[in-house]
Amino acid sequence: MKLTGLQKQVLGLYRGFLRAARTKGSEERKKIESIVSSEFRRHAKSIERKNFIYIEYLLRRGTKQLEQLKNPDTLSLSTVPVRHHPS
Amino acid sequence: MSTGLVRRAISRVSSNPASKLLFARAHASEVQAQQVEPKAQDNSKLKTFSIYRWNPDNPSKPELKDYQIDLKDCGPMVLDALIKIKNEIDPTLTFRRSCREGICGSCAMNIDGCNGLACLTKIESGEASTVTPLPHMFVIKDLVVDMTNFYNQYKSIEPWLKRKTPPPVPGKEVPQSKKDRAKLDGMYECILCACCSTSCPSYWWNPESYLGPAALLHAHRWISDSRDEYTKERLDAINDEFKLYRCHTILNCARACPKGLNPGKQITTIKQLQLSS
Amino acid sequence: MALRAAILGHIRVPVQTLTQNGRILQPWNLLNSNRSMSSHGDDHLDKEEVIERVLSVVKSFPKVDPSKVTPDVHFQNDLGLDSLDTVEIVMALEEEFKLEIPDKEADKINSCKLAVEYIANHPMAG
Repeated sequence: MKLTGLQKQVLGLYRGFLRAARTKGSEERKKIESIVSSEFRRHAKSIERKNFIYIEYLLRRGTKQLEQLKNPDTLSLSTVPVRHHPS
Repeated sequence: MSTGLVRRAISRVSSNPASKLLFARAHASEVQAQQVEPKAQDNSKLKTFSIYRWNPDNPSKPELKDYQIDLKDCGPMVLDALIKIKNEIDPTLTFRRSCREGICGSCAMNIDGCNGLACLTKIESGEASTVTPLPHMFVIKDLVVDMTNFYNQYKSIEPWLKRKTPPPVPGKEVPQSKKDRAKLDGMYECILCACCSTSCPSYWWNPESYLGPAALLHAHRWISDSRDEYTKERLDAINDEFKLYRCHTILNCARACPKGLNPGKQITTIKQLQLSS
Repeated sequence: MALRAAILGHIRVPVQTLTQNGRILQPWNLLNSNRSMSSHGDDHLDKEEVIERVLSVVKSFPKVDPSKVTPDVHFQNDLGLDSLDTVEIVMALEEEFKLEIPDKEADKINSCKLAVEYIANHPMAG
């Protein structure tokens, strides 16, 4: 299967996160990998394939988060549950 | 159209006796319209704001949503209207704002086709206004745009005092004459709201490689600073086909600047300095 | 209830230089000390060895049924993996062979065969 440009960007971002995780402590690395993996998989399931606006938005947001994670002063990564209010 | 005229005429009566005549005229020819719309008799002055909405958490296409507010019960500026809508109609409306007096630069947006600060832009008397995010910027939510690239470009011109020699009195500030200080007028006032850069067609086409009017104005601000000792290096750093010379003096920047500055003129000065250096 | 995007724990720590007996310990020293050395001094690894090690990495991937793994197996078509799994496997191969595969190349590796080919031809593979 040939990958589209957007798909390549998503996989590249995923690779970037896994690379950044390698630079952290081994406990933290596992934690980061598990969070990143579940985030990507959750979005892969829930987002409509052709919702380009949203996918591009997430790519930009992810790239920014990756920049922060790459910083040697950033030791780990964590998540907080957020409840969505119906609008 | 006509009912709008009546409404406006009536609303003026209470505050300005000179417009009584206008009221009488409008009234005489619009009796029917008044019957159709009895609202015109009460003391409200309705205006519709069409506002760009996009929420990444509910993935759907962006849309313009209409909100009707009574200008009689609202401050004079577009920011007042946005705050009123957020407080009273739709708390999910998202926009940046802070100082409400044109010094923080947070509430830059596109109002009826022109970039400006919502806090310095008067609500026009027309029936409808359209408010959208700064053009050609990535939207984070509603009227909030991603300023990362803009800020990185500002950072790239090294906006701080750079010296090769220590200050005249060790450990003290570097003094500047009043005359030299005056050379920074027209530049130091910039608040980095991005109204200029995002109104510039050259910046739209080359947002990554062209520095844009705001960053270039700041580059010139440091080139002109009598205390800075890296003038030549600064000029060399931006002497680039894309970084500097994508400016084609379209001058939308000067038109958009809510602080009344003229970035285009500063860019022209940089180009002249490049020739003479 | 949905998990929202990752919030980064941004903790500042004082910069420290790790020293032991006056010698600066560099992370790559630690890494290199326990890397699995191949048994010969040639620039390129022996192809049989590459195949064996690639297969063992793929077999140990949690979502993979080890009995299905053969030298010709395609990650997505034969093992039922998705593109994200493929990224993880290629990353695991990078670590096994002490390589960094550029995105452009990594995107193409979608089977054991292509992985073996790339690694066997890579002068830095160890």
